[in-house]
Amino acid sequence: MKLPSSFHKIWAFSARSALVNRRNVFAVFEMLFWPAIGIFSVGLLTRFLKLDPETVTFVLIGAVSMNTIQIAQLDLSYALLYSVWAKSLKHEFMAPVRLTHILVGAGLVGVIRGFLVFVVMGVLSMWLFDMDLARPGTEGLIIFMAGMFLNAAVIGALVLALVLRFGQRAEVAAWAFSYLMLLLCGLYYPVSVLPPGVQLLAQIIPLTYFLEYFRHFYGFPSSYPHPLLYGFSLSVIYLCGCYALVHYTLNSALQRGTLLRLSE
Amino acid sequence: MQTAISAQGISKSFRTRIFGPWKQVLHEVDLEVESGTIFGILGPNGAGKTTFISILATLLRPDTGQARVLGLDVVKNAALLRERINLAASGAHFLWCLTVEENLRFYGRLYGLGGKTLAAKIEELLDIFGLQTQRRVTFERLSTGLKQRLALAKALINTPELLFLDEPTTGLDPEMAQHSREEILRLNRETGLTILLTTHNLREAEMLCGEVAFLKEGRLLARGTIPQLQERLGLGDRVSLFFQDGCGDLDFSRLPGVLTHKLENNRVDLMVDRAEERLAPILEAISRTRNTVIQVQLKEVDLAEIYHEITQ
Repeated sequence: MKLPSSFHKIWAFSARSALVNRRNVFAVFEMLFWPAIGIFSVGLLTRFLKLDPETVTFVLIGAVSMNTIQIAQLDLSYALLYSVWAKSLKHEFMAPVRLTHILVGAGLVGVIRGFLVFVVMGVLSMWLFDMDLARPGTEGLIIFMAGMFLNAAVIGALVLALVLRFGQRAEVAAWAFSYLMLLLCGLYYPVSVLPPGVQLLAQIIPLTYFLEYFRHFYGFPSSYPHPLLYGFSLSVIYLCGCYALVHYTLNSALQRGTLLRLSE
Repeated sequence: MQTAISAQGISKSFRTRIFGPWKQVLHEVDLEVESGTIFGILGPNGAGKTTFISILATLLRPDTGQARVLGLDVVKNAALLRERINLAASGAHFLWCLTVEENLRFYGRLYGLGGKTLAAKIEELLDIFGLQTQRRVTFERLSTGLKQRLALAKALINTPELLFLDEPTTGLDPEMAQHSREEILRLNRETGLTILLTTHNLREAEMLCGEVAFLKEGRLLARGTIPQLQERLGLGDRVSLFFQDGCGDLDFSRLPGVLTHKLENNRVDLMVDRAEERLAPILEAISRTRNTVIQVQLKEVDLAEIYHEITQ
């Protein structure tokens, strides 16, 4: 792989994603309005319930995580959905690009937007609800964010595979997958309150372990030994699996003529 | 001369719906195209032209058969091949909210271009296709003709060695269509760019293509230069002769190069193999009789007739 050439190909997807976001008024809503609404509604609920500061932080971490992951995965999911909506998919795949160029290029913008949402929500939480976001320290914050972005990448890659298989209909999946995952991983509650069968499902979601890791700084001991080891291992396994799945669906699309159908 | 495209036994089937029956779109199509030529694929709607061109452009995999483009296998060496080819199709579609310039920059980057090289290429293409004044206009605000121009510009962003044009001038006004054809010809002549195009426009094929092939229901019915096809199908140029006092008892079938003839009052319609060569001897033969020709009308055989003959 030639490095300067690959850089341009990756940058093509990053720049396109950034331009579309800049010109889309709803992107501002995604990054500011909905996260702010999320923090206000959850924060005010905790105030109404008169929760202690640690529990308020527990719940607010869930709200921050949800919005950060949602935004970060969207850019990856949209990397192909933009082309499907524009009916230009065949031109993108006619060019000598690899899946890694698409994933890294669009993923970079997702990480930047996700980081901005995390910062906005973190500042609002600290300012309005006295959440001590800095307690885990820089290292803890970086590890937690890395975990969130890995989860976002898994969801985004899964949606890419669905787009290549089902086209525009996969748009719904971009939202549905993340909500389902967030529901199961104990976003606003400890995993122990989930029904026993569902707890098993929670254990196969990497975000469960990253939330447990982050919350232990606030006095909520982790239910699992070595949460980071499990979290990162599962994330890497899923990422490799999703990459293989996207690769397979692309090959299948070339056989079935899906790229042409999605460009008509 | 080198072979740019070599396809043997290309077949392709699609399911009409999930779990539905298979429909064979291409039946063992063979084709060879020489480097540096403009080759046209003609055929009615649903003939399999786009499917065939898509297989050669690495966007679709054949069920059976093998195709090599620029010496590279379209399946095994697709990634390498994509660096050297490009495609423009009718009904141009690009990202709606990017400007003309941004769309070109996006596709240029996909081909690994950047910096001054890409900037210079974009300027050159904006000039060639008359898009300078629209460079900052978003795609959704362009007229159909301008969109098509952008599609052609995008197809040249990586300076391809082989260009696939799927109905390239559809939607363009006559002036721009003609300009685009001239540009296609210029590119071919000046750079030796090999072009494979599909078209419904027979005049366009006649103007651009050195050689054509006819596809119908997924089968390649005929291929060759226009004179070759004319000869093979027994189609000739039309010569209409108008006589002063009837045609007398002339035996027109004995005149040189005459394939068929039809009498009508003072007029006779002859079909001759090559009017340019045969007209003088025919007139000379008639002048030796008592008949006087007062008017001659000449119509060379065109692609429309060949197309009609083959696809019927």
